[in-house]
Amino acid sequence: MKKNKRNNELEEIVNNSEAMCEFLKKMIIETLKLENVTVGEIDSYVPLFRKGLGLDSIDALELVVAIEKIFNVIIEDEEVGKTAFASVDALSNFIQKKYKQG
Amino acid sequence: MEFKDKRVIITGGTKGLGKAIALSFAREGAWVGINYSSDDKSASSTEAELKRLTTKFILLKADVSSGSSVRKMINNVLDQWEYVDILVNNAGVIRDKLLMFLDEKDWDRVLEVNLKGTYLCSRAIIKTMIARRFGRIINITSPSAITGRAGQTNYSASKGGIISFTKSLSKEMARLGITVNAVCPGIISTPMIENLDQETKSDLLNMIPMGKFGKPEDIASMVLFLASEKAGYITGQILTVDGGLT
Repeated sequence: MKKNKRNNELEEIVNNSEAMCEFLKKMIIETLKLENVTVGEIDSYVPLFRKGLGLDSIDALELVVAIEKIFNVIIEDEEVGKTAFASVDALSNFIQKKYKQG
Repeated sequence: MEFKDKRVIITGGTKGLGKAIALSFAREGAWVGINYSSDDKSASSTEAELKRLTTKFILLKADVSSGSSVRKMINNVLDQWEYVDILVNNAGVIRDKLLMFLDEKDWDRVLEVNLKGTYLCSRAIIKTMIARRFGRIINITSPSAITGRAGQTNYSASKGGIISFTKSLSKEMARLGITVNAVCPGIISTPMIENLDQETKSDLLNMIPMGKFGKPEDIASMVLFLASEKAGYITGQILTVDGGLT
């Protein structure tokens, strides 16, 4: 099944922090259909919410679902979400850690 | 076939209103998942009727007030169908007593099935709807929630809770392509009403300006409308179908 191939590709991305941040930025833009924002414009260390990238809690719902679908990593509550969504870099670290555990 | 291959779950779907809703969806080509908690006899008779309409249906025996049962039920459906488009939270029980005689058990049971069940089923289904940016959640409430009714403090509280739940969830889901509405059926001729004594029935009839009980199909029509593409801009609303009762 193509799921295996996908897992290998995903494995490579997850093992490389830079690729991971790039991938997540793309995922955020695509999932939330952010117009007028490019991967290059998103700073990996800027907060995703409010005055940073300007996302809100409903955007977070969509990201939680996307992350679960792609990485099979579950963000189980809002507290965890707050840490995970602090920035693209934080999200990358969070997923890398969880992905390896899972 | 307005709902061809749309995937629908109806809780409490083997009797009364739920059954009418399930059969209406099936007639329109939908795949129907019918939940029930314990009455195997009515489940198998509903199954027989469904078989004449479609091959795409699943009977789901589960208590909607139990988180683990609900998760198991929804996962079972998602394993077979991949996703669900429409959830109708219809399962409900009554334990009518005047407050003075209403014990905790009857309070809890009504709140657990009617209100908590609506929460649990909605929560279990919401991720699959968000992922597809499409969904319809339709909850069944009651005139008792709006006007109150002696002997129904538990029931009216649960149904009032469903109205507030509907409004708040609709705000959370609006941007994600998911609408959340409630249908408020008046007095409908289901076995529950048919079995009342003649005097009570005529008292009830006198309360209805149209002078007749509603048919389960009257409610099903409204549910199907809210589930349709035509109702795509309607969310957070309570639509009453009651012959002028409220």
